[in-house]
Amino acid sequence: MIIIGEKINGAIPSTGKAIAEKDKEFIRKLAIKQTEAGADFIDVCASVDDTIELETMKWLIDIVQDATDVPIAVDSPNIYTCIESMKYCKKAGLFNSVSLEGDKIDLAFKEIADTNWECVALLNSDKGIPKTAKDRLDVFTDLMGKCKEYKIDPSQIHIDPLIEMLCISEDGIATVVEVIREIKKQYPIIHVTGAISNISFNLPARRIANQAFAVLAMSAGMDSFILDPLNKDMMGMLFATEAMMGEDEYCIEYISAFREGKFVK
Amino acid sequence: MLKIQEVKTLVETGKAKKIQAIVQEALDAGCPAQEILNAMIDSMGVVGDKFSAGEIFVPEMLIAAKSMAKGVEILKPVMSGDTSSSLGTCIIGTVAGDLHDIGKNLVSMMIESAGFDLVDLGVDVPAQRFVDAVNENKNVVLVACSGLLTTTMPALKEAVQTIKAALPEMKVIVGGAPVTPDYAAEIGADGYAPDAGSAGVKAKELVN
Repeated sequence: MIIIGEKINGAIPSTGKAIAEKDKEFIRKLAIKQTEAGADFIDVCASVDDTIELETMKWLIDIVQDATDVPIAVDSPNIYTCIESMKYCKKAGLFNSVSLEGDKIDLAFKEIADTNWECVALLNSDKGIPKTAKDRLDVFTDLMGKCKEYKIDPSQIHIDPLIEMLCISEDGIATVVEVIREIKKQYPIIHVTGAISNISFNLPARRIANQAFAVLAMSAGMDSFILDPLNKDMMGMLFATEAMMGEDEYCIEYISAFREGKFVK
Repeated sequence: MLKIQEVKTLVETGKAKKIQAIVQEALDAGCPAQEILNAMIDSMGVVGDKFSAGEIFVPEMLIAAKSMAKGVEILKPVMSGDTSSSLGTCIIGTVAGDLHDIGKNLVSMMIESAGFDLVDLGVDVPAQRFVDAVNENKNVVLVACSGLLTTTMPALKEAVQTIKAALPEMKVIVGGAPVTPDYAAEIGADGYAPDAGSAGVKAKELVN
């Protein structure tokens, strides 16, 4: 189970404000708290104007690296920002993200090849977000072709099957589940990731929908989660689900996580 | 002696994969096998107490016992022939009409970890079978009877009374969810334990 802590993202109002005000201590605390909560990567996304994005990324990454040894997920919709930001990182982290849109994937894979960097890959292409499971799996096949070309091991890849909001979905999460299962069948060592809270946009009591999604997606094979690790209910749900899937002998992970305060009674 | 402390920590934290190497290192460093065994028994005592106090959970007790069992595997060849280390044999079983074995197995583990040789008769054990087992095995010092159902409480009584009628000197300990200290005394048992952790402690107490 891989936890990608999502809190250092300028799109979150409180973080955005801290970035605008250059509130170093705020960012530092987010990095430390997420580390303590068990994050395997600390996602860093500036969400600012293009003109200052790179310098903002550097500022954020420096603060995070000073506060924690947990590797960084460099996160931007701009592929060049991600590539440049890699250079600010002291150790290999997670490239978040590439897709088959345009030449993004070649630009990114050129940098990731021969490194220990991992990479989030979205299943969309120049044609946008594929509607059906079959179309998404076609994109996946093309993607794996690229991995082979650049000799990037499937274990370095976190596939994001594209989680759309539940409230306007016609089939609930059936498509996503189908895609995840097929991907894991083809490549058992590949990771499947997703921003869990996307599922519940525009619904009330989002945490309930988020938890239900996490359980079902995990059961399908999702093993990497972009979420708020300080959300103890969600963390507890993930550890409990892992144990129920038979992946936690004697429930020791569950018990240890509880003892470490990752979730509470 | 540092090695012995390390062995104790590995038992208490249930590190079954690491313990064998450390037990071997302790032996190589000249620690007597008996001393290592006693240290592990002490550690299981600590684990049992923590469980009784609600500080640890069942799986943590399980992995501690598993870890100790792994350590004992290394000690066995060194100690073979030396029976003085055993507290004696304990016969255990769930009484007639009752098929529950999870609790009984936990108790077995803790009694074994306390230093007894254990003979487990399984579940649904007729009263006479306990008596036969005492006669068939060497050096039996204790019989432990378990019953989880209110409906099998009479079978527990029958078991204790059959054992006591045939073997008046034999110590008998009872336990199980519906059993109380008063009931245990009423049916003639020598001891009662409310959980697996205290069962190990009580078993030792009864034979000493």
